Amino acid sequence: MSTDQATTTATTTVRTPEEVREWLTERVAYFLDVTPQDIASDALLVEIGLDSVYALTLCGDVEEQFGIVVEATLAWDHPTVDALTTHIHAQIADPR
Amino acid sequence: MDSGEVVDSGRTVVSGGGVAAAGRIGQGEGQDVVTREGPRPTPGYPPYALAGALDRELGDPARTDLPFFPGRLRELDAAENFPADQVRLLDAAGLPAHYVPARHGGALRSYEDLLHLVRVVARRDLTVAIAHTKTYLGAVSTWVVGSAEQARALGERVAAGAVVSWGLTEREHGSDLLSGTLTATRTPDGGYRLDGEKWLINNATRCDLICVLARTAPAGGTRGYSLLLVDRSTLADGTHTPLPAARTHGIRGADISGISFTGARVPASALLGAEGSGIETVLRALQITRTLCASLSLGAGDHALRIATGFGLEHQLYGKRLIDLPQARRSLTEAYADLLTAEAVTLLAARGVHALTEEMSVTSPTLKYLVPATVDQLVTDMGQFLGARSFLSEDFAHGAFAKLERDHRIVGIFDGNSLVNLNALINQFGSLARGYRAGRTEADALATAADLGLPVPEFDPVRLDLTSRGGNSVTASLPAGADALRALADAGAVPVSLADRAAHLREVADETHERMAAHRPTPRDVPADAFDLAHRYTLCAAAAACVQIFLHNRAARTEGAWRDGLWLEACLARLAARLAPGRLPAEGTGDEEAVLDDLLPHLLDQHTGGRMFSLLPFPLAPSPDDAERPARSAAVPQLQETP
Repeated sequence: MSTDQATTTATTTVRTPEEVREWLTERVAYFLDVTPQDIASDALLVEIGLDSVYALTLCGDVEEQFGIVVEATLAWDHPTVDALTTHIHAQIADPR
Repeated sequence: MDSGEVVDSGRTVVSGGGVAAAGRIGQGEGQDVVTREGPRPTPGYPPYALAGALDRELGDPARTDLPFFPGRLRELDAAENFPADQVRLLDAAGLPAHYVPARHGGALRSYEDLLHLVRVVARRDLTVAIAHTKTYLGAVSTWVVGSAEQARALGERVAAGAVVSWGLTEREHGSDLLSGTLTATRTPDGGYRLDGEKWLINNATRCDLICVLARTAPAGGTRGYSLLLVDRSTLADGTHTPLPAARTHGIRGADISGISFTGARVPASALLGAEGSGIETVLRALQITRTLCASLSLGAGDHALRIATGFGLEHQLYGKRLIDLPQARRSLTEAYADLLTAEAVTLLAARGVHALTEEMSVTSPTLKYLVPATVDQLVTDMGQFLGARSFLSEDFAHGAFAKLERDHRIVGIFDGNSLVNLNALINQFGSLARGYRAGRTEADALATAADLGLPVPEFDPVRLDLTSRGGNSVTASLPAGADALRALADAGAVPVSLADRAAHLREVADETHERMAAHRPTPRDVPADAFDLAHRYTLCAAAAACVQIFLHNRAARTEGAWRDGLWLEACLARLAARLAPGRLPAEGTGDEEAVLDDLLPHLLDQHTGGRMFSLLPFPLAPSPDDAERPARSAAVPQLQETP
């Protein structure tokens, strides 16, 4: 059911998983109003306070940052920073 | 009527007639609908051919011998009895086929058509409209995510009159879907067993089928719920029990009850979509149902204004008719302008289901918040206008006003209340502000949605998205729309005052979006000023919608309130006032809403003609008994007639 696909504006910058993880962690920390050090990369986002409906809007930030197209339910299907990192990095490396 | 117009109307009726051919409503009467209008340079409006046919089939509400006579509806309400005769009449008229998309064998081709069909019922009685359209709500998840086989099978049932309910809420958890505890557990044969309760469900006791949101993963969560379409006739005795109906403030005759399951077994084919997709499907389906809720409000607003206008024409005060007093007149024209605004917003949203599908996560909460709230205020204002009579449950207008006031309260609450809808917008402030700043508008799709003379493309539910990445094409078009009005004013095609009002609202929208961009999302309680900002956003969105409807139809519609952009200027004046409550007029500007007075003849024309209050010509109902009744005139308004 994936509608993920390459965009014509796909970034040519190579991103390492660490860069993706760092950006995601900062993003989540910003929303939760905590420092990035407070975000465990394997914690369920919903359990550390990321509202499940608000999490839908994360897709827009991800698309803008990485130049890929992702599902709105991204954070539902990949519910931790680690899982999101793996998914997003795979999309950047091989945009479908 | 000249032949050129018949041809034109004939063309437009064809698209409506296609719908009618699959359903039963209005079959073979398209031409008649139009010819009754008499010579009108304004073109017809195809969706009204269909709605007008239903209106005629239901008959003049003033007829005491018909099911929709207000006195009869009041008696049912007082006794808390289900409006069975009225619902049967809607079934006989073929309305259920219009709940089924044409691709699944039904007659539903356009949500614009369905909007007006429901509106025709709602302007008579909200309880009946809510009781009947619930089947659409129960079925919509199947249209959104069901397989072709599931959709075809359900379509046949619905068209044949089956009642379908939508079981989302539970007793302890209200509208928090993620806390539902009714479980669906896999059984060895691949099916499910259901255990638990659903409560405050419309038609839970009367339904043949119920679409249930059930927990399919023990831990719950966004991927822990699934939708199952349960056919009650296949359940073993003793595994399901209706829960007694709740007594309610309004819609007293509706079946608002519950259902309890204990080891109820359903086959694997009951599952809609993938396991775990329930919450996602509900959020997508709500984008359509919230749009349809507006038709309930439009119908109620029409009803309230009709009663008040009739009273204003009849009631004498200080030797004058009430309507001859400036303040009283202004109350009516304010309500009329607000109703036209609500209509313009709703038209664009209903057509947007087809044309701007990806933006429905913004369009639907905007509409679901704004239109019921606008009509709640309208009803309250008309209650003030009527004075003590508005409280009379029998002796004024057969109690219809008091009943609609009670009934309409629920529209702003069910299917997502005001806070839920504003919060949905707050969550999307970021993309809305970005899209507005960039002037990001899907121009072709917006033109398709706004041009009422164009057919809409087939609705594709796959395009429904849970968040709108591009923002809102309608609102983002306001700056360009204001510029277009300025150019028209410079060319002498519209008054300068209209362009000035649009420019003012554009400034308000600019500032509103700047504040939205600065809003910081928070995991804690959403601050009150964010809700205020979202409220203001919906008014800016309404202004943009009105401007687009005007710009895309002004060439084809030049008569009545369309002339000189009158209705648009009145609507924008009201929106500006609602965006600046309590503000004193600037010195020397005088009465900024004087333009409203010019609406009065149009309001009265639609009232005395028995037509729906609308931007568009609603076909006159040919009453067989017109000859025996006194001609309707300003002095003898319809609802005041003694039957």
